[in-house]
Amino acid sequence: MSNALPSTVRSGLVTALPIAMGYFPIAFAFGVAATGAGLSAAEAFALSLIIYAGASQFLALALITSGAPLLVAAFTLIAMNLRHVLYGPALLKAAGEAASTRHAWAWAWGLTDEVFGAALGEVARGRQFSEPFMFGLGLGAYASWLAGTLVGALAGGGALADWPVVQAGLSFMLPALFLSLLLSILTRPQVPVIAVAGLATVAGTLAVSGTAGILAGMIAGAAAGTLRRGRA
Amino acid sequence: MSQHILILALMVGIANWVFRYGPTRLSRGAGQGAGALARFLSATGPAAIATLVVASTLPMANATQVLPLVMGVGAVLVLWVWRRSVMIATLGGALAYALTTFAAAST
Repeated sequence: MSNALPSTVRSGLVTALPIAMGYFPIAFAFGVAATGAGLSAAEAFALSLIIYAGASQFLALALITSGAPLLVAAFTLIAMNLRHVLYGPALLKAAGEAASTRHAWAWAWGLTDEVFGAALGEVARGRQFSEPFMFGLGLGAYASWLAGTLVGALAGGGALADWPVVQAGLSFMLPALFLSLLLSILTRPQVPVIAVAGLATVAGTLAVSGTAGILAGMIAGAAAGTLRRGRA
Repeated sequence: MSQHILILALMVGIANWVFRYGPTRLSRGAGQGAGALARFLSATGPAAIATLVVASTLPMANATQVLPLVMGVGAVLVLWVWRRSVMIATLGGALAYALTTFAAAST
């Protein structure tokens, strides 16, 4: 039974506030890192505008500055974002059969890790899925990401050199956000899924690479959930 | 603007849009019900976020950063249990991490 939480663009924007507050400093750090790596402010902003995937943007900086060939860099970054393939169907599964996808071409662009986690958490708490809500949620997060990047890029590469405490706090913002999102959707039946995903991530990262660890964790965790419930 | 960076951004950005939007059209209805695909998709969210928690904290699990990491994670957990707010838990965790890093560097 729904508890009548609104599902408008405005409620989406309000729900995006925690993400926006988390995104801004991270994007700021990205803008600072990008200009510090030799990119112009316009190039840093373009990466956020066009790619809009935090972790892979930081990886893009490393690939660009290391002189990686275009196709190698593109393939690496695309592989890193493959996990996003799972988000739309998982969210729509939670939303139910009545969920509309007519304008998904617009709101699905905003399905980042955090937006996906927040949307899933809202649906789990009884908010009815709607496209306007998803649009507001995605827009709030996207706007914050772009604004943070722009401010960071304009501040310049050395902006945080004299602020080590701020720099340290910013470096933990993304892990803290992921952990908070995990807690917001946590239920007892998902504990084995989370444990398997975590172990597979560690194993994949140590054995191959960080990207391999991410893919291994997601696939192993989801597979564990499938098998466990299948036997029940 | 560097053409190399622009082309790279476009390739990755288009792929991201396809990854995020495409499955909402292709698998419409495929994830409903109680079949294996539905169970797989139900587990995907927790698996994905758990993976990202581990992937983002793993590089911090070294000798110099372990205390700030423990304090940061602890603050997120305590604040979440106390306030049930993603924003408060996130900001509080980052603050605890920053302050512990500062304290460790000062001693």
